[in-house]
Amino acid sequence: MAPVTYLEAIRQGIWEEMERDPSVFCIGEDIGVYGGAFKITEGFIHHFGKERVVDTPISEAAIVSAAYGASLTGMRPVAEFQFMDFISSAHTQIVNACAKSNWRWGAPAPMVMRGPSGGGVSGGPFHSQNPEMWYAHTPGLKVICPATATDAKGLIKSAIRDNNPCLFFEHKYLYRRVKEELPEGDYTVEIGKARTHREGKDISIITYAAMVYVAQEAADILAKEGIDLEIIDLRTVAPLDVDAIVNTVKKTNKVIVLHEDVKTGGIAGEIAAIINENCFDDLDGPIVRITALDTPVPFSPPLEKVFLPKVEDVVREARKLKAY
Amino acid sequence: MKSKTEQKPAAKNNQASNGPANSGQKNGSGSAPAQTKGKFTQVAPQRKNPHGIPDYRLEVPNFQTVEEWADGKLRYNVKGDFSAPAPSLCESKYLSKEKSIEMYRFMLLNRKMEQALENLFKQQKVIGGVYLGLGQEGCSVGAAFALKKEDWVGPMIRNQGAMLVRGFTPADTMMQYMAKAGAPTKGRDSGSHYGDVHIHNVVAPISHLGDSIPVMAGIAMGARLQGKNIACLTFVGDGGQSTGPSYEGFNFAAVQRLGVILIMEHNLWAYSTPVELQFACKDLADRSIGYGVPGVIVDGTDPNQVYDVTYEAAQRAYKGEGSTLIEAKMMRMRGHAMHDAASYVPKEYFDYWKRRDCNTRMEKYLLDRGWLTEKDNKDLIADVEAQINRDRDIADASPFPQPEDATTGVFLDNSVKIPFKYGPPKVKEVQKGVRVGEASNVSHYK
Ligand SMILES: Cc1ncc(C[n+]2csc(CCOP(=O)(O)OP(=O)(O)O)c2C)c(N)n1
Ligand SMILES: [Mg+2]
Repeated sequence: MAPVTYLEAIRQGIWEEMERDPSVFCIGEDIGVYGGAFKITEGFIHHFGKERVVDTPISEAAIVSAAYGASLTGMRPVAEFQFMDFISSAHTQIVNACAKSNWRWGAPAPMVMRGPSGGGVSGGPFHSQNPEMWYAHTPGLKVICPATATDAKGLIKSAIRDNNPCLFFEHKYLYRRVKEELPEGDYTVEIGKARTHREGKDISIITYAAMVYVAQEAADILAKEGIDLEIIDLRTVAPLDVDAIVNTVKKTNKVIVLHEDVKTGGIAGEIAAIINENCFDDLDGPIVRITALDTPVPFSPPLEKVFLPKVEDVVREARKLKAY
Repeated sequence: MKSKTEQKPAAKNNQASNGPANSGQKNGSGSAPAQTKGKFTQVAPQRKNPHGIPDYRLEVPNFQTVEEWADGKLRYNVKGDFSAPAPSLCESKYLSKEKSIEMYRFMLLNRKMEQALENLFKQQKVIGGVYLGLGQEGCSVGAAFALKKEDWVGPMIRNQGAMLVRGFTPADTMMQYMAKAGAPTKGRDSGSHYGDVHIHNVVAPISHLGDSIPVMAGIAMGARLQGKNIACLTFVGDGGQSTGPSYEGFNFAAVQRLGVILIMEHNLWAYSTPVELQFACKDLADRSIGYGVPGVIVDGTDPNQVYDVTYEAAQRAYKGEGSTLIEAKMMRMRGHAMHDAASYVPKEYFDYWKRRDCNTRMEKYLLDRGWLTEKDNKDLIADVEAQINRDRDIADASPFPQPEDATTGVFLDNSVKIPFKYGPPKVKEVQKGVRVGEASNVSHYK
């Protein structure tokens, strides 16, 4: 089959789930006749009807709460944030109502909250953020950040079938840049299982989402120097695949954690702590963090370039770590 | 300032247009219509407010809280006339004798349960605070009593009466407050924060005020997708209605024509803040104009008024006609919670509203109508007290949760099948096997 984009893969995933299961419906801003700011749901309203592709007033709090309420009746809503940055307008609804629902009063909330996140497109401080850690920090939520088209489709399907509130962070830079041949038929990808993107023996790069490709480029450069990187794509930041982290550390004994989120409070710190707790003795060097700067995401291209982690950063840090 | 408390003559002939299409719910045989007795006023809007909102109250008090400096300190005082005697209750258009007595029993149960809670608090058997709904029982109970079993309620802290109507027991609430293993949340959450999706159809509130409103809209939407129009009743305070989710949620419900019934409990205080510092309009029901839904004002201390307007709002919900905003005017008769002596509340308010106590007036209403004899009433009270005593003992005997219970249930296993509340979705049939076409190459950012 012809390769499809990361964006088409997500479209296929939601479409197929809506066809398979009448309890799945979409809710969000401009997702109906217009098909969404990035066209994820283009054409859905005509096929599935307006009852299942609900255009809402501009209220993230209402979108999330309505999805949550519907999930209490056994529906499986897929709520779209036009940009993941706007998730902050539904923060209380997500972290207090949805996340605690099953634990607090035994009311399952099988719902997906999805949308475009991430930078590299000059979106500025309010259309480029990576807010995944606000939610990874909250017990009761699953936080999914796919890097490949195959995973994007397989994981959105798993999220829709999951019995818990799932946040699905699509990377807008990857939407139309990543293109792959997808597996045939109905497949899912398990939530909470990392993927080895590249096997290597010298240094492990633990990363996710768009940074997988930065790591890949760095690995290609370093391979020519005889430095062999292993790339672990986490796929989900909550739950974290602790086994995959420990196994790669035991294999290469040197670790770089790379992410597009800012440094302070990013998942890299958590991963460093997990390594400390589980396999400190396997380390042959310090755990290196390569992340975005601790600033808001800047708008102008030269500023955003400085903000985001780059291939050169990975190459430089990997050389240092190899020599350690 | 002169108060306008004189009553207009009772509306003798109710406009049929205000009632539901079928008011055959009234099934009490011995109930003579009010107009023949000439003693009770039937529920009908006596007047409209300056913005055309129907106002069912028999009196429109005209007073307000004002700020005043005394001895170098700022305090609250009142302006206006508090002298009016309390009106009797309206006669319900829909409640039979039997139903009226049942509703009264819930009001008694509500009050006596809260009295028991207060005692448990004083005996230090309660963990944390206790929030009382004293003086508001008629509103909580009357509203919830107007719903059907398949409807939903999203209560707030002062709506324990609504929980009782939905089938939770006094022991459930007591165990919640005592953090016991037998409590609906098994000690995981406090006080009024409990609910049930299986039988009682009650959403466990979160503390964050206004947040239940859009959740109720979502439940109504889920039910509609399953082919059923239901009524989803929730409450918000004069303080809570100031939050963003209140507006966002009710606007969403209005736009989607979902059967959300929002009761704004205008009880004059939000913790220590008088309504004068909460909003600049006089009647919260005016907000209904902006939402584009029907709004009404009722006396929140009159359970018959509350019942009737909620009942009518529910009929609209069943017919798919959308949301309704009900403003219930009343008074929070205690502090915010047990720790708060409410010393900031001018005494005039307590005196005025004590005369309007919902339970006392409901009792008098039933006695005056001859629907209860003094003996019936005594027996009823004794029966409620016995139930409260039994439930208090059950709550007291319940153990605390086991420490290991803290960590279970953060996630629900995917092997569990989550049932539909109203049966499989009744949505448009779609042709199977149609592949999604490729999206057009337009995107907000490249
Ligand atoms: C968003 C939010 N902010 C603050 C609080 C703390 N709080 C709890 S109840 C309350 C007062 C509520 O007043 P009102 O809504 O009028 O309800 P009432 O207590 O009068 O029934 C406050 C400030 C809260 N629960 N939620
Ligand atoms: Mg109040």
